[in-house]
Amino acid sequence: MNDMSRTETGVNLTDIKIAARKVQVHYGANHAIKDVDVDINDRMVTAFIGPSGCGKSTFLRCLNRMNDTIPVCRVEGEIRLDGDDIYDRRVDPVQLRAKVGMVFQKPNPFPKSIYDNVAYGPRIHGLTRSRAELDEVVETSLRRAALWGEVKDRLAAPGTGLSGGQQQRLCIARAVATSPEVLLMDEPCSALDPIATAQVEELIDELRSRFAVVIVTHSMQQAARVSQNTAFFHLGNLVEFGETSQVFTNPKDPRTESYITGRIG
Amino acid sequence: MNDRHILRAFDRDLEGIQAMVMRMGGMVETAIMEAAEALESRDEEQAEKVRLNDKAIDALEERVNEDAARLIALRAPTASDLRTVLTVMKISASLERVGDYAKNMAKRANVLGQMPAVPGAGGAIRRMARTVTDMLSHALDAYIQRDTQLAEDVRVRDREVDQMYNALFREFLTHMMEDPRNITACMHLHFIAKNLERMGDHATAIAEQVIYLVTGTLPDDDRPKVENVTTVGVGES
Repeated sequence: MNDMSRTETGVNLTDIKIAARKVQVHYGANHAIKDVDVDINDRMVTAFIGPSGCGKSTFLRCLNRMNDTIPVCRVEGEIRLDGDDIYDRRVDPVQLRAKVGMVFQKPNPFPKSIYDNVAYGPRIHGLTRSRAELDEVVETSLRRAALWGEVKDRLAAPGTGLSGGQQQRLCIARAVATSPEVLLMDEPCSALDPIATAQVEELIDELRSRFAVVIVTHSMQQAARVSQNTAFFHLGNLVEFGETSQVFTNPKDPRTESYITGRIG
Repeated sequence: MNDRHILRAFDRDLEGIQAMVMRMGGMVETAIMEAAEALESRDEEQAEKVRLNDKAIDALEERVNEDAARLIALRAPTASDLRTVLTVMKISASLERVGDYAKNMAKRANVLGQMPAVPGAGGAIRRMARTVTDMLSHALDAYIQRDTQLAEDVRVRDREVDQMYNALFREFLTHMMEDPRNITACMHLHFIAKNLERMGDHATAIAEQVIYLVTGTLPDDDRPKVENVTTVGVGES
């Protein structure tokens, strides 16, 4: 059950996967993230919520250095994955992104077969040595993404021919194929209908038995449904970070209260 | 925090439910006082009125529950909105019970009207009813103003009602021992006093709901309690 409180899940509180300290992000002159400290727990879902432009997606993209691709973007502070600074010069961002996978708002399968979509990551990272091994990784990943039953008879069909919900689960299968440790999801359900959303949410709840999951969502109800911890961002500040059940029943900061109850923030 | 929702219909729904609970509160306070007056002045007509009015209180409680269920389903309230809905449901349930006790008092007032009066009982019951009505009205004021201090005062005042009940218990016991012909009337009076004491408990429960609504946690149960009445033996009185 995803609505169990942190203490009930029996996970060690010190089991921190990502520790961010005093993170600042500038886009040119724009100070987008101000002094953010967050701990992402392993095997838990952490939700980032907040109004548009509050910096939640920007912060999410810091966690696997996706902001490196934007020239005017400057990231300061410290982000440690299992204690190692991910912004260290010796860290290869490509390797990092295999460990910290990402799923985007719109399903973006490659214009390739279903099989090749999932096999892409393991191939470029050289994770498998034989075709049989690769077949196995593809099957396991599709199973983990709860898609195997629907596509096992048409693995050679193009990934773009699937329905929106199936495409998003294919992207999740592609992300988990490289055996990541953390999965970042940037509004993964905003282009999906309620049934496909429910399937992806169920999937997220299963994925957290293996990974740390961080999800950015505009749907507060989705944050309430899938996450154990919730972080509320506002104007680049982390306003409140706590157990989801506490944030949604008794938030400490009046700004959080205004936002989640649908009052003008 | 802002007072208004972006979606104004949400505010209207919440205000509608809260207005119903306040109307219930007014009706229940009237019922208690009228039942106590009917008892003291042996006014059968007034007692009958209290009994009939209870139907309206019950109907309001039902509407509060229906509207609260609809609001939860359609608006998915969170944080203080969620606590408001939960609180409103509990308060209306308490008020409905208090209304039933008032109706019961009116019924017994009619029965007592056919018997010789027990001296002093009517006045004592009315004073107790006045205290309970005060507590109830303060608890509801505390709700409207989100005033935890006022709610705390109501909790403490429950002790007064408990003491009044214990005093009446001893008094009725004495009357019954003095003259067995008083037993029927005193038994009815005792039930009335006990019901008033229960009403005080409900007022306290409402005050505690206000504290929950404002702070997000229920107060610890550390209210000073009056000695257990079962220990008041015949020999002591």
